[in-house]
Amino acid sequence: MSFLATLRCWWKAITKRSRIDQEVTEEFQFHLDAYAADLVSQGMTSTEAQRKARIDLGRIDVQNEKYRDAIGLRLFDELGADIRYGFRSLFKNPGYAIIAILSLALGIGATTAMFSLIYAVLIHPFPYADSDRIMNPGIMTIEGPPQRWFATFKSQFETLGKAKSVESLLGFRNGGAELTGGSLPEDLDVMYITENADTFLGVPAFLGRGIQPSDARNGGQHVVVLNYRFWKRHFQGDRTVIGRTLQIDNENYTIVGVMPRSFAFNDTLGVSDIYLPMSLQHGSINPPIPASYIPWIKVKANVSLAAADAELDAIVHQFAKENPGHFTKKFRLQLEPIIVPYQRSMGHALTLLLTGVLLLLAIGCANCSILLLARGEARQHELAIRSAIGASRWRIIRQLLVEALVISFSGAVLGVAASYWLAKLPIQLSPSSFPPESVIRINTPILAFSVGLAFLCGIVFGLFPALRLSRPDLIHTMQGKLRRIAPGIGKHKLNLLIAGQIALTLLLLATAGAAIGAFLGLMKMPLGYDPKNVMQVGIMMHWTNPKDWDSVQPREGRAAYIEQIRQKIASLPGVTSVAVSAQSTPPYSGINFPVQVADKPHDADQEVRVHLVSPEFFATLHIQLRRGRIWSQTQNMHGDSVAIVNEAFARQYWAHQDPIGQQLRLPTLKAFGPLMIGSPSSDGWRQVVGMVADSRNDGVNHPAVPAVYVPYTTYMYPFAQFEIRTQGEPLAYLPAVREAVQSVASDQQVSNGVFDLIEGVEHDAQWTHQRLFSILFGFFSSLALLLALAGLFSAVSYSVAQKNAEFGVRMALGASRSHILWVAARVAVRSVLIGISVGLAIDLLIQRLLARWMNNADFSSHSLALATFLLFACSVTACLFPALRAASVHPVEALRYE
Amino acid sequence: MQKPINLPQGALEMLILKAVSLGPLHGYGILLRIQQISGQRLEILQGSFYTAVYRLERNGWMEGEWGESDNNRKAKFYRLTASGKRQLKEETAKWSDMASVVAGILQAKPEEI
Repeated sequence: MSFLATLRCWWKAITKRSRIDQEVTEEFQFHLDAYAADLVSQGMTSTEAQRKARIDLGRIDVQNEKYRDAIGLRLFDELGADIRYGFRSLFKNPGYAIIAILSLALGIGATTAMFSLIYAVLIHPFPYADSDRIMNPGIMTIEGPPQRWFATFKSQFETLGKAKSVESLLGFRNGGAELTGGSLPEDLDVMYITENADTFLGVPAFLGRGIQPSDARNGGQHVVVLNYRFWKRHFQGDRTVIGRTLQIDNENYTIVGVMPRSFAFNDTLGVSDIYLPMSLQHGSINPPIPASYIPWIKVKANVSLAAADAELDAIVHQFAKENPGHFTKKFRLQLEPIIVPYQRSMGHALTLLLTGVLLLLAIGCANCSILLLARGEARQHELAIRSAIGASRWRIIRQLLVEALVISFSGAVLGVAASYWLAKLPIQLSPSSFPPESVIRINTPILAFSVGLAFLCGIVFGLFPALRLSRPDLIHTMQGKLRRIAPGIGKHKLNLLIAGQIALTLLLLATAGAAIGAFLGLMKMPLGYDPKNVMQVGIMMHWTNPKDWDSVQPREGRAAYIEQIRQKIASLPGVTSVAVSAQSTPPYSGINFPVQVADKPHDADQEVRVHLVSPEFFATLHIQLRRGRIWSQTQNMHGDSVAIVNEAFARQYWAHQDPIGQQLRLPTLKAFGPLMIGSPSSDGWRQVVGMVADSRNDGVNHPAVPAVYVPYTTYMYPFAQFEIRTQGEPLAYLPAVREAVQSVASDQQVSNGVFDLIEGVEHDAQWTHQRLFSILFGFFSSLALLLALAGLFSAVSYSVAQKNAEFGVRMALGASRSHILWVAARVAVRSVLIGISVGLAIDLLIQRLLARWMNNADFSSHSLALATFLLFACSVTACLFPALRAASVHPVEALRYE
Repeated sequence: MQKPINLPQGALEMLILKAVSLGPLHGYGILLRIQQISGQRLEILQGSFYTAVYRLERNGWMEGEWGESDNNRKAKFYRLTASGKRQLKEETAKWSDMASVVAGILQAKPEEI
């Protein structure tokens, strides 16, 4: 085929150019000689013959060009020359090239990275098959908070599985277990999953296999699948673990698989260390949990969410009718795609960030355009000369376009590289804000989009000056530079671009200011407690082991056991004080219970944060006692009839009264189930004996909510937590604490979730969230500022350089330096002012929307004013620098230079 | 001597292919053969001749190979390729079609219409 042959011919001509050139010359020379020889044989003299041959055939030295023209490579050669010329002119003016290329690169890199992040986090974070169809059923109550999950009996689970809209169903239940057989017992988070896990989740195991239907045989095979992190931690990533045994609660299990790192099952209950077949659950947990199936539902592909909701809602209401105790009175079932919780917590922030980086991309493109336009203006003379010596209009347009594209291309290449680095940044800064499963991959479509935009910007803004300058007013331009005092059409576009860029930058700066202000506020906010040098250590009682359980099942025995451990830890050297609590360690502390206050109208909806603590709690955490006293050790063991409130509670209920001596009651604080135990009248009236200062109990970024503190012995779980204040680094005391615990009961292990309270604050989701947001927005807005300033600086530099002669004339005629300064900078400064006003107006307009989306932002006029001032000061400086240079030139030099 | 004829567009290429189809030839040889067959009636501009040769080679209709000429000099000999043969056949058919149609029209007499 001739097309292929053409390609082959071109390829040869390009890659073996010198050989082809030589062949063409040789062939031509042969022809010339043969022709001349024939002419000689026809009777010419040799000189005459050679002369005629050369006249007829043409010059030998252009034959190569003729050859390349004939085979159609002329355009290619010319473009190559244009590209070379483009690069050369870039290197001649490196500052301009670097700014333009970096602008594009940063814009492309940041946009791609952020979009890839959003895609990974919000659109496709889970490794599971058809993860968009996997639903987490939640119970929505008309009043009160939604319940994110609920457990079903086996029979109910099977009924759910038969629903028409359900494709398949996964059941799971978490539990605690102990890793035995080692020197010290170790706590394990266990997840029992139904044996269809492999097919439902569709995640192939990293080593070995996952849980399979065959594992359900004979009441459950003793097999275990390991979570990747547990495998790394416990087996140091040993690949030979498959087939070995793991002793759990003194029973042997065969390790059959290790899941991949991205498999962080699951978000509902927390990531587990090991996965066991569901069928084992009934045998190994004593007393067995009756409702042991928490469902994840994969709805059929063609069923709408509403239809599935309606069908399953009816089924679950039927369950509620059969077992009224398990469900609240009025509720509605709602299926929620498993991604939704992340969307809720990060969605708006990420969308804002994406908008931010799109603005950055816009600023980058605008920068590039400004530079192209400004440079075009400055090159009128050069182009006029090219045109005058015969360059066609098309040729000049093409050359300018190629130069613009060289910039776009370099920017795109750098941008792609930058995006890989930038995409990893947020996850490194704040790992806890993202689903553990999400693996950030660069999103190719959006990369293509950003790169495309960069090229488009290069073409459009390369074309503007090209079209205008390709038909230069030769006479005027050539006559002298002095003529070019009147601003060209390009100037208006330039000023418009500068103003737009400044407006966008102000928007970014103001948003960053609001985010950073909010974060600084969060950091400065008094917590109400002192997390420094305090750690929390938990113990879980052995309710699966009847021998151990008997002694701690009664309330007195349990309290005595806990108190004994507390005293043992407290007696350690270096430990300042130790408190006992249950679910009451800040910053998210306490459990919501309805509250009833004496002499006030009772409202069942009034809830209060109930903290179960020992009397040492306040001293250990440095929570100030404002009034009254703290209950005694005897009262603590008794459990009933005393309470301490915080100031928020007192403010709400006894605004103008003394809280001490008031009565309150927690009507539903009543232990239930086989594992919990309470004091005789835990739900009875209590007298307020003291009032303490507010300390954060609803997360670090929210003020304390009304709270009531009661003795922990009034409502006891089969576990307890100790807050331990030490001298110096608390975690260093952990080995000693473990020993102290074991000196009380040799098989009592310390739970895994030991943490330093400072870490608790710093790893708080809200905290990391806001820190992430502030850092990223601060980062992007400073980039934007930098880009805008660079653009401004180069635009003014160019215009000043062009007007050198004009300034010379003005100065020669007696203009003062300050006047020159003003003339040089005024246009740019005016654009900056317009940009700032537009930016301010937009910012004020969208502030309310931003405030809602950022959910905690400091929109004081303070931060906006700061951002405005910063931008104004920087931009004026960027304008003045080149203007100063203009003003400092000696008039004679300026004129002579021309 | 009759007046020399100027070739219409595209015809030179066809003639070159034809010349080469009779046996491998170098560039100058092609020129000589065409002139010889035409009875020296064709005036081929030597300058544009090579443009046609290069284009034919690019299209893969002829293949060049270096060999030795009669007077023992290195020369590039062109040979028709399979696709060149096809091309020549097509062009020839097209040409004679056109020629006969044009000739038919030009020879038309008033009474035949």
